[in-house]
Amino acid sequence: MAIRSFFLFILFFSSSLSPVFSLYEDQVGLMDWHQQYIGKVKQAVFSSQRAGRKRVVVSTEENVIASLDLRHGEIFWRHLLGADDVIDGIDIGLGKYVITLSSGGSILRSWNLPDGQMVWESSLQGPKHSKSFLLVPTNLKFDKDNVLVVFSNGRLHAISCIDGEVLWKKDFEAESFEVQQVIQPPGSDLIYVVGFAASYQFEMYQINAKNGELLKHESASFSSGFSGEVSLVSTETVVALDSTGSILLTISFQDGKISSQQTPISNLVEDSLGPAVIIPSSVSGIFAIKTDAVTVFIRVIGEGKLEVVEKTTHEIAVSDALSISEDQQAFALIQHASSEIHLTVKLAHDWDGNLLKESVKMDRQRGLVHKVFINNYIRTDRSYGFRVLIVMEDHSLLLLQQGEIVWSREDGLASIIDVTTSELPVERNGVSVAKVEHNLFEWLKGHMLKLKGTLMLASPEDMAAIQSMRLKSSEKSKMTRDHNGFRKLLIVLTRAGKLFALHTGDGRIVWSHLLRSLHKSEACQSPIGLNLYQWQVPHHHAMDENPSVLVVSRCGPSSDTPGVLSFVDTYTGKELSSLSLDHAVVQVIPLPYTDSTEQRLHLLINADKHAHLYPKTSEALSIFKREFLNIYWYSVEDQNGIIKGHALKCKCTGEVADEFCFDTRDLWSVVFPSESEKIVATVTRKLNEVVHTQAKVVADQDVMYKYISRNLLFVATVAPKGSGEIGSVTPEESWLVAYLIDTVTGRILHRVTHHGSQGPVHAVFSENWVVYHYFNLRAHRYEMSVIEIYDQSRADNIDVWKLVLGKHNLTSPISLFSRPEVITKSQSYFFTHSLKAIAVTSTAKGITSKQLLLGTIGDQVLALDKRFLDPRRTVNPTQAEKEEGIIPLTDSLPIIPQSYVTHALRVEGLRGIITVPAKLESTTLVFAHGVDLFFTQLAPSRTYDSLTEDFSYALLLITIVALVAAIFVTWRLSERKELQEKWR
Amino acid sequence: MAFSCKNSSKFNGFSSCIKMVMVGTSAIMMQQRTLAMEASLCVKKSKKKGADSVTRPNSQISAAMAAVTPLLLLLLLSSAPSFSSGSRNAYNINGRVKIPQGLGLGTKGYALPGRMSNVKVLLNGGQNITFLRPDGYFSFHNIPAGTHLIEVSAIGYFFSPVRVDVSARNPGKVQAALTENRKGLSELVLEPLREEQYYEIREPFSIMSLLKSPMGLMVGFMLAVAFLMPKLVENMDPEEMRRAQEEMRSQGVPSLSSLLPGGARN
Repeated sequence: MAIRSFFLFILFFSSSLSPVFSLYEDQVGLMDWHQQYIGKVKQAVFSSQRAGRKRVVVSTEENVIASLDLRHGEIFWRHLLGADDVIDGIDIGLGKYVITLSSGGSILRSWNLPDGQMVWESSLQGPKHSKSFLLVPTNLKFDKDNVLVVFSNGRLHAISCIDGEVLWKKDFEAESFEVQQVIQPPGSDLIYVVGFAASYQFEMYQINAKNGELLKHESASFSSGFSGEVSLVSTETVVALDSTGSILLTISFQDGKISSQQTPISNLVEDSLGPAVIIPSSVSGIFAIKTDAVTVFIRVIGEGKLEVVEKTTHEIAVSDALSISEDQQAFALIQHASSEIHLTVKLAHDWDGNLLKESVKMDRQRGLVHKVFINNYIRTDRSYGFRVLIVMEDHSLLLLQQGEIVWSREDGLASIIDVTTSELPVERNGVSVAKVEHNLFEWLKGHMLKLKGTLMLASPEDMAAIQSMRLKSSEKSKMTRDHNGFRKLLIVLTRAGKLFALHTGDGRIVWSHLLRSLHKSEACQSPIGLNLYQWQVPHHHAMDENPSVLVVSRCGPSSDTPGVLSFVDTYTGKELSSLSLDHAVVQVIPLPYTDSTEQRLHLLINADKHAHLYPKTSEALSIFKREFLNIYWYSVEDQNGIIKGHALKCKCTGEVADEFCFDTRDLWSVVFPSESEKIVATVTRKLNEVVHTQAKVVADQDVMYKYISRNLLFVATVAPKGSGEIGSVTPEESWLVAYLIDTVTGRILHRVTHHGSQGPVHAVFSENWVVYHYFNLRAHRYEMSVIEIYDQSRADNIDVWKLVLGKHNLTSPISLFSRPEVITKSQSYFFTHSLKAIAVTSTAKGITSKQLLLGTIGDQVLALDKRFLDPRRTVNPTQAEKEEGIIPLTDSLPIIPQSYVTHALRVEGLRGIITVPAKLESTTLVFAHGVDLFFTQLAPSRTYDSLTEDFSYALLLITIVALVAAIFVTWRLSERKELQEKWR
Repeated sequence: MAFSCKNSSKFNGFSSCIKMVMVGTSAIMMQQRTLAMEASLCVKKSKKKGADSVTRPNSQISAAMAAVTPLLLLLLLSSAPSFSSGSRNAYNINGRVKIPQGLGLGTKGYALPGRMSNVKVLLNGGQNITFLRPDGYFSFHNIPAGTHLIEVSAIGYFFSPVRVDVSARNPGKVQAALTENRKGLSELVLEPLREEQYYEIREPFSIMSLLKSPMGLMVGFMLAVAFLMPKLVENMDPEEMRRAQEEMRSQGVPSLSSLLPGGARN
């Protein structure tokens, strides 16, 4: 109790309005780390600039365009485009502009190559939706101006490379015309637009590149139709497949005349296996087709004759063509062989002669090669050297040169799906001994330096020494558990199906594992990782058992495809086992029970609403049976606007006798009227949240009891009209309704309507309060509201006489089935920014005050004290309320720049914020992820239980020494004085 | 690492006080900056079919406007051909972001972090994102009529979101206002309301700050007691002084030397 009151005192003591999180500039990187990524590369263009540093410009699936240093793989500059603004093509124009075509071909932008500044932006419209193509012809000039040729939305544009002006445009309005290729033969003033009409007609338009005039239009019909893509084999020949995928059509349109040749695949490949697809490639004279098992390279030898040059069953990746001289084209080919990859560079017209053949050792955890980009350079002996950029299955990007991996980027980390944490191994005697300070002198010298630093007496060299010393001396990157719980492993699951363990100290990758269960297989066509759960967290057996995580994934995009479970050891990254389930996984419920080996029980709900218990052991079953009647859960069907509560009924009654399968029953359902309400957000409390005390002492010695229930659900619904974007509705026809629903009984505890408001709603639930962010259409500003819920049934307990007479109900059990007497308090405030994510700090014991972490639209994370969102704020708080720490009410929430936890950094493409308690009560660990990763430690009420990093021991030592000296001096003086007095 | 609780609380208080002082000063610095308004806004209407050009702000009109009414709430009309509002119309919103040069260069140790190339302009909470041209202009294409919200994200600066009304009834009529202070914009020129300082500034070592801290106050008080009290005692009446001393002796107040182990000898 004494400790508790002491903590309360500290909290009170430290509560001042100054920003709690604040950092000096020289403290950057001390407790935080920031990593920048770009995502899986879709397209790469090498800058051919002779001078300056070599660059490669890439566009990625995370919708990033970036310029990378070819020597080291660092990012020069990077831009993340909007989510709807998907990049269709990139290229380099005039050697100094990066051209991007995005938004389905309707936005064309040009960026300055050296610094990434946008130069111009053009909006391209057209009559109808179509494929889009971006061509940057090198020799097509138009009044000294280089021209870009863009085909998008059924219209061909010629655009000036310098200012983005449209020079001419030509519509292709024919209803059924589907463009397949846009070709600009080098050295001519012609543009060919080829495509299909009505799926059996081949159309060719020849256009004058100077003015967009249509020169020729030819068409030919093919009764067998077309399927899939066409491949360009020369500037005037394309290859397509017929609708059955078994006949190759070689169509040439030399001089505007269409001639064609049909070759059944079975003529080329004896044992043809099912329908084939053309692998798009731009290598002239050669194309590749792929059937289920074989990849066949076919050469076109004039007049539409085809010849098979190679047949392989290996996984293979081909680059686009690279012209190395006037009439020579080279391309790269990568083949897999167990633990190596073989890179071959060939000339387009000479299949058998290899320009280059190298083998590179490849980490198996990177999976297959997905994409290859080739670039050449001239060696000192004037021969050609080649470097290739490869994109792997785990989304990483590697540069190969001279048989070696020059650099690699782990860009899979740009697309994190789920995050969990794991403890590090316990420090064992003899395993890793902490390094003691070398000697006292060194130690003292270091602290003297620090003292100089704090007193601002340090020279720049001293400052640098301090910084490096701090980074080195801190034990933050050790691989063992620490006393304060700052060192942990962040286990992240990426979209590529790879699991990474990041060390919280410095963000390095401890291990990574490409999940075997997430590999494509016969049974599982397109596996997707869904969630991570802590499967086993050993406390009693911490010394001899490793913790493990459960990865839940499923075999396809729809929710009724069978699920896959894999169990991964978090110390070693080994996949312990994996289970292919025969049922789907719609919902995973981690139960608050563990078995004797501390494996957590999980309940998996399938599409037919059967519950399956994991782990499938008899012990788990017996534990589960004991708690059978106490298990409740809910499900949300956002499409239908229904929230349902469920409980277990009995064993499965189906034909399969499985004692781990249970039938469920619906307990209650809340149906929202579809014409007026649409569910946009549902939030519950975090399962592992700790609440320190239920009582809240308010100003006048009064006590309020928080209504703390794990089974509260916050639901926000908006008017169906208002579920669109901002500005699409008027305030009159839009509203937002917030509910607090008990998930055991389905009782609606609170309901509030915000008229004239709309989504998107971001909400966070903690203890007895929920905070949500939405848009107020009337004020045209964002708003944040707080609802706090208090238990009234315990309010009478403050009567001392009742306590004395034992009439209180403090010890009576709480049942959710008894009608709770609750009151709610709420308040709303304006908030400036749009939000992308919202989270709340969590600490080990829940004593420390809370901060909200707001991921703003600018990709920053702002820490906002919960006291700003206190429904008891008034304009003029009384003296008592002020003492309690209530802030006078203002209409908007303050944004204090010093409380941005990301300080001057951006977490580009922010998607989520995760908080994990450290062992030290004052501190919480914050991990924000998007395209970038950011990690820091936060102390919402300051570090009241430990000394700060920059605490000067030297100052303390000097003070003590000075005090001791002073004591001795005064002692001597007083002794002498006393002696004198006695002599007197 | 964990220190004894009592001590940590003291140091805690020590640092909180310093931070409060610093926040105060930075706030004053921010207020001293004035905002200059200069701007241009131009909304050109283009039907979905046949809209192809990038509409550039009419700088002549805007310059004249800016000269006449720099800070008034007014609607800016831009010439646009009138179309019947039967089909789905789409508009372009053009504007400009202006970051006054020199803002932020005055403060020590604070590098200007937000380069123009890293500034993003966001419409309706990220529905559309665009970037700035070298001269600071930006445009959103194919925006339906209605009320929109434009936000500017620039590291190091605080921009107020701007409410932009694109009218369907009067094509090309645009109304813009800062949502933070409800100030109308004659033209869509967005300027930072203030600079954002993400780091605490280390105050140079000074005697005053040390004295102002709780530790300093305590030491000062103790020194005052140690040195001023004897002076007060000296000024006392000798009679009274003797009486007090006698009283003290009779009560046996221990002197410092008698408290220490060495003092016991005499």
